[in-house]
Amino acid sequence: MTTYVGRRVMVAVLLVAGFAGSSVFARGAPEPQGAQAPANEAWQREFDHVCSRTQDAMSFSEEELVAFVRRCDALLPQIEKLDETRRKVYVGRLKMCRGLYAYVLESKRNEKK
Amino acid sequence: MNMKRFAILALILAFCIPSLSQTGTKKKRPLPYDFGRVVINNYSENSELSPVVFQHWIHRSRFTCRVCHVDIGFGMKAGQTGIRAVDNERGYYCGACHNGKMTVDGKPLFAACSRKAGYDDQKRCERCHSLGKKVQSDQDFFTFSQPLPKERFGNGIDWEKSEEIGLIKPAAHLDGFTSPRRSLAVQKDFDLNPKVEGMPDIIFSHKKHTVWNGCELCHPDIFMGVKKGSSHYTMVDISEGKSCGACHVSVAFPLTDCQRCHSKQVQP
Repeated sequence: MTTYVGRRVMVAVLLVAGFAGSSVFARGAPEPQGAQAPANEAWQREFDHVCSRTQDAMSFSEEELVAFVRRCDALLPQIEKLDETRRKVYVGRLKMCRGLYAYVLESKRNEKK
Repeated sequence: MNMKRFAILALILAFCIPSLSQTGTKKKRPLPYDFGRVVINNYSENSELSPVVFQHWIHRSRFTCRVCHVDIGFGMKAGQTGIRAVDNERGYYCGACHNGKMTVDGKPLFAACSRKAGYDDQKRCERCHSLGKKVQSDQDFFTFSQPLPKERFGNGIDWEKSEEIGLIKPAAHLDGFTSPRRSLAVQKDFDLNPKVEGMPDIIFSHKKHTVWNGCELCHPDIFMGVKKGSSHYTMVDISEGKSCGACHVSVAFPLTDCQRCHSKQVQP
């Protein structure tokens, strides 16, 4: 009888633990660091470095602009690996940043023609 | 019998003539406090929430266009960004500021979406999900706009002058989003010839546009032409939201304010 009650208690404990566990998993992996976190990931440092220079784009030489476009292209696969939210935000931002460098580059090449 | 036919004919004419006399639909000019209002409904109604009503005037008095449309990453058209509740909850998009921590005028800004929101949070949800609801905002347009220099169109506010005289100070930086950058070199204004006889030239204030928008917000997505004069912009295209119309139809001063752009005197 005691064993039977003990078993029932054990089953109940296991069930409760199971529910608790499943609710933890339902929340998913820990949330990504908030956007307020400092740029401590390599891709973000590179992103900041590349995309903080857009206002200087007009003063860059063609070679410098080509280098910036390449750095943007190299960043894309790293950003595409991020979680959905950050991927959406940073792919969009990178596109704008790359677009501007490519635009200024084309403009400079056209001037020479 | 004839009288009956006459009455029916008269009724038909009475209903049809007014509709025949109107061609197209007349656009209603938005009221000053509604100018720049954006309704976002990507996922709201599917989640049994009212669509979001976003008021540009509140936000543009605090931040430059670039902070939101470049650094935070909001698209230039309603619904283009596909903002999800989880994005806000993770601290992106609306959640970049509406995180319950940022303070404005000493008060914490209400937090945006949360999966933990319960019935008690309904009022907080309705701060944004407010289409068709009577929601009392903390910000009153008339109190806000009263001391600011006036304009004839749009919000009825001269935003440029308001900033110039220090009545508003839109921030160009948001921690965690704005990449560290030097201030922008002043760009020269230039004029564009509208190629219509008697129409004043357009003076384009590169300075004002770059200070508020940066470069990448406009180039190349909105203005693709690389060489000055290589792209042609028509008022029809602009009124459909292309080129200048991306902002100057619904948020920045509208197209009805002709002289703000066509401002260079015609040479006799």
